[in-house]
Amino acid sequence: MTTTPNPAREEILGKVRMALLRRIDAPVPPVPSSTRVPSRIPGAAGVEIELLLNEIRKLGGHTRRIAQRDEIAGAVAELVRAEEINKATTWETAELAELGMADILRGLGVELVSPHAGPRRLAECDLGVTSVDAALPETGTLLLRSTPERPRLVSLLPRVHLALVRPSALRADLGQAFADVRNDGYFVFVTGPSRTADIELTVTIGVHGPKALHVWSTELS
Amino acid sequence: MSETRFSSREIVRIDFRSNVQHVPPHMPPSVQKATTKFLGTRASVVDLVGDEQWQTLRQAGHDLRLHTITHLDYYLEMLEENVTKAGGHVHWARDAEEARRIVLEIARGGSRNVKRAVKAKSMATEEIGLNHFLIDAGIQTLETDLGEFIIQLAGVGPSHIIVPAVHLTKEGIAALFREKLGVDAPTDPIQLAAIARAKLREEFLAADMGISGANFLVAETGTLVIVSNEGNGRMCTTLPPLHVAVVGIDKVVPDMESLNVLLKLLPRSATGQKMSAYTSFITGPRRTDAENGPQEFHLILLDNGRTRILQDEIARETLLCIRCGVCLNVCPVYNNVGGHAYGWAYSGPIGAILVPQLLGTEVAGDLPFASSLCGACAEYCPVKIPIPEILLRLRHRVVEGDPVGGPSASPLLRVAAEVGGRTLGQPWLYELGTQLLKVIQIPLRKDGWLPNLPPPLNRWTMSRPMPAFGADFRDWWRDRTPEGRQHNVARKIGLGALVVGLITLAAWLLARKKSR
Repeated sequence: MTTTPNPAREEILGKVRMALLRRIDAPVPPVPSSTRVPSRIPGAAGVEIELLLNEIRKLGGHTRRIAQRDEIAGAVAELVRAEEINKATTWETAELAELGMADILRGLGVELVSPHAGPRRLAECDLGVTSVDAALPETGTLLLRSTPERPRLVSLLPRVHLALVRPSALRADLGQAFADVRNDGYFVFVTGPSRTADIELTVTIGVHGPKALHVWSTELS
Repeated sequence: MSETRFSSREIVRIDFRSNVQHVPPHMPPSVQKATTKFLGTRASVVDLVGDEQWQTLRQAGHDLRLHTITHLDYYLEMLEENVTKAGGHVHWARDAEEARRIVLEIARGGSRNVKRAVKAKSMATEEIGLNHFLIDAGIQTLETDLGEFIIQLAGVGPSHIIVPAVHLTKEGIAALFREKLGVDAPTDPIQLAAIARAKLREEFLAADMGISGANFLVAETGTLVIVSNEGNGRMCTTLPPLHVAVVGIDKVVPDMESLNVLLKLLPRSATGQKMSAYTSFITGPRRTDAENGPQEFHLILLDNGRTRILQDEIARETLLCIRCGVCLNVCPVYNNVGGHAYGWAYSGPIGAILVPQLLGTEVAGDLPFASSLCGACAEYCPVKIPIPEILLRLRHRVVEGDPVGGPSASPLLRVAAEVGGRTLGQPWLYELGTQLLKVIQIPLRKDGWLPNLPPPLNRWTMSRPMPAFGADFRDWWRDRTPEGRQHNVARKIGLGALVVGLITLAAWLLARKKSR
């Protein structure tokens, strides 16, 4: 809290109280219950995954369901070929390490850039790979946190963003997603690739953020 | 506060009280095309929610925002405490001038010496005219939202809250890019967006300061919430080492749970999306050096007239607004005059109630008259702001004054309103008037219309003819019963005699005056 007197602050808060006829320590009732909506009841995991991927496809994202560990290398190879990936960077989460993502990319001859590299180097990357910390099927939304293992720029600067969703990341709705991250310093909801409709309301995909979003569900048995 | 006015070039500001006949000559068809499309996509996502659930959400949104602004001091203090706890700096700005000065002080303070700033889309910074000020102070300040980037190149203000360049066609934008950026720009929206992307990439990487507004401020956690689609908002708040946010004090919400409701209402109403592409939650600067994000975070809480809006119990609901812009899309007036006709950063129905309150009715007192009171805005508003009621409240303030503001209408208008009110309040006087008009109109009448009225009434007939005074509903109604018919006959004889008497008297007075 500021300790030096701040006349602007005192004047604004004073005017607010005067306008509302509120004393300085007048009690504040709790937020009215009419403002709370009941949480959504989720379906079975398989149904929820399909709903999530379907919403993402509607927004112009590309999706894939991966059921077996040995499918991953092939899927990455296809992506690298299709999107012409030469340089990539990835989050350093346990989930991605366990999938062996870095090794797979290296094995395909892709140059790996550290996610802690400077913005200019990250901006040169063709691909940024992240896991997701929560996913909301109803809207096709992915939640990405920010920690030292999860640099924000990996999902922002490279031309293509690949996000891997495991079923345990599914949440029923916004309210449930907030429960895990409400005290984080930063998080972002990503819903489809970056877009604009600023010129004659023509939808253009890939403005400042990634031009393509690939979302794979990893339901490994 | 005239600096918030846009540069006058290319803009035809309409005075909605005295000048109804001049619709901007170049009102582009792109505006109505865009608003129609917005309403279509909105309808499809609202249908998916279901009308009953949508109405529940709207009521929840209304109650939530009203609860917050009626305990605003409490939530602002909570917000300040939590932003500070998270390592951010909170500043308070009483008006536009103070807010601009604080931004500049931050940019020049300490060892900072900011040379280049990148901006995310923000109505609050449009409101305080920040760009011109910073540029004049020697800081290169660049809008990075595609629409804002375009209007900054064009040197005009936004013509829509959500799509600021909606008045421009792709041909116009291509010509602008060729002229201002010196590039070969085709008239294809996708390629134009690609040109902006390439140009702005370098700017994001080189900027010393990122400037943003916010859609919401979460008091409980000290979190800034930014809803965007292009990714430029994420760039501006992640890449530069310094992030400065300028946000109106009305943007506070109590807690994260509040967003369960508001994030359902905002994107659906604004762009017809279930969620916008990016919704960022920023609490203070980055927490560790190993993370991305700015080292320094400043929040400037802007009053600039908002505490005055709070004074009026009805008009204060203006502050519930979440800036979705749907009221512009449904407004028949906005659709016919476009955003620039309002002359200020905020246009459409919300502009018509917000601007006269922010700046005072003596400055923008004509805007509450920029409405036919059809009520579509209130029906669509996701937080149920009673816009027509507030328009009437402000018209009253303009003409007669109230505890918040004195009258600003001309004395002539006030006299006319007074006379009109008294005439309508006396049935006999009103009836006499209607009979008199039927006689007086005779020389002006042409095929059942009054094509040309004398000044000042010609303001009406310059744009459309006036129907002639003819059948009388009350006559017709009474004619349906025998007693009524008798009454009508007696009344007509009486009124006829009175009219003839008055005309004779007038003629006699006139003749006497002439013979002198």
